[in-house]
Amino acid sequence: MVRLVDLRVELAGLELRNPVVVASGPLGVSLGLMKRAEEAGAAAITLKTATLRPREGHPNPVVYELPYGLLNSMGLPNPGAEEMGRLISEAKAVMRVPLIASVAAQSPREAEEVAERLRGADALELNASCPHVRGLGAELMDDPQLVADIVSALRSFGRPVFVKLSAHGDWIGVASRALGAGASGLVAINTLKAMAIDVRAKCPVLGGVYGGLSGPAIHPVAVRVVYELHREFPDVPIIGVGGVETWVEAAELILAGATAVGVATALRRGFHVIGEIVEGLRAYVAGEGLASIRELVGAAHR
Amino acid sequence: MYVGSEVLRAEPVGPDVVRYVLKLERRLGSSPGQFVMVWVPRVGEVALSVAREEGREIHLLVARKGRVTGFMHDNVREGWRLYVRGPLGRGFAVAKGTALLVGGGVGVAPLIHLCAALKGAGARVVAAIGLRSADYRALAEDLASCADEAHVATEDGSLGIRGTAVDVAEALLSERHFDFVYVCGKEAMMRQVIELAMARGVRVEASLERLVKCGIGVCGACVLEPLGLRVCADGPAFDGDTLTRAGDFGRWWHDAAGRRVPLQP
Repeated sequence: MVRLVDLRVELAGLELRNPVVVASGPLGVSLGLMKRAEEAGAAAITLKTATLRPREGHPNPVVYELPYGLLNSMGLPNPGAEEMGRLISEAKAVMRVPLIASVAAQSPREAEEVAERLRGADALELNASCPHVRGLGAELMDDPQLVADIVSALRSFGRPVFVKLSAHGDWIGVASRALGAGASGLVAINTLKAMAIDVRAKCPVLGGVYGGLSGPAIHPVAVRVVYELHREFPDVPIIGVGGVETWVEAAELILAGATAVGVATALRRGFHVIGEIVEGLRAYVAGEGLASIRELVGAAHR
Repeated sequence: MYVGSEVLRAEPVGPDVVRYVLKLERRLGSSPGQFVMVWVPRVGEVALSVAREEGREIHLLVARKGRVTGFMHDNVREGWRLYVRGPLGRGFAVAKGTALLVGGGVGVAPLIHLCAALKGAGARVVAAIGLRSADYRALAEDLASCADEAHVATEDGSLGIRGTAVDVAEALLSERHFDFVYVCGKEAMMRQVIELAMARGVRVEASLERLVKCGIGVCGACVLEPLGLRVCADGPAFDGDTLTRAGDFGRWWHDAAGRRVPLQP
């Protein structure tokens, strides 16, 4: 007998058909790519981070492939909040899965201006963790009060607000302040600060010099951060991100306490990996004799 | 991870085009239509079609376009070290029968590699090459000498017939039967060749050039809408049917910030 497995999860009010979402970054600024991800099985799409003004990002090389992961130094290229808002409106008309807009800003006022233009999104994610752009992203981790103030500003839009944390700095402290200011959920982790030097050329490889490490190498770090966040804030929904290549890493993050998991670097192998992860989770839940994947969220703590 | 290489030769093959012959530390193993990212340390990195691969040697045809290619033209000579990652992307389908290869300017690059593979597979190859003027004669040489038959057109009539690669292709497609058409050049030119081939029911593939950042399909910079095709990973070679459904083709591209802007002619 085929057991029916319920993969649906609820994430701060967002109804997801399964726990696999696309994390911010890999789909660029493209409705076509967002649709491909949806067709491949993604339950929600996080857009590329938007800033108030357009950014061209760092010069090439912007990526460096390693056997155990990927270094990137894109530098938050984006066409600016205005254009991103237009893309969201267009996408909302043809897509069924929730869209999470990612915001980078240096002040509550700027965050409000960005969010104002991304009004059509189903939720907002504050990027407090991009490791390779000065003044934006991870530098917020050093200023929990600023994170709290930005979260308060974003809350005024009446949409769930997630805060994407870095594994560097006092992420428990930042999460605590953000939640106190009304954040509805957490996303962990972003890439880890890293760099590469070519031994023959004897210079940094990445055009932006510093980059963020993603992929299999950072997965155990993500598991630990999600595990501790869930222990500290058991009722807060978490999107676990970091090195999810197959259903196994996805299940690990869910057991650690994530309600949903993000994929990004794994998409270098093709969009089909999304469906493989979803089907792998389905088989896992069935094999464990469970009716719903929700029973596994945080199960490693019990 | 890069493969190191030494520049064996840097030869001008036209007023603003240089052919670089690189000797890699290990064999690249590219198929025709694939590309590499070439890193010039402390300067930058660009996507370039592999124009030829023999043993550990590869050929690249580099037109002066921006900061990195400009630096290469001005500085990179024999003995320089360049760093290569690849082969990247999906190349052409190598078919049997009679093929028409249509190349515009530096767009002949992937067609040279393709011509060798087609000949190896037993195909008959006819080349239609469009150049700005006779000053680019050397650019056409490798493809012309590989093909069983080559026709050249120049915009000013200083070599071959006066006209474009499209004119030559149109004449050839009207006169005889081809099993396959392959084209590489400016997108407006490729659109026309695709229309000519498809109108006659001939299978056609085109190789595209876009602003490539990551080169491995994870950043979305080189996307073609509305299909969400990543030129670096789903291409750079696409079949004509796909491209006729990709509205951006020949019309729009994305700049470094991801803004959709009209394609320069």
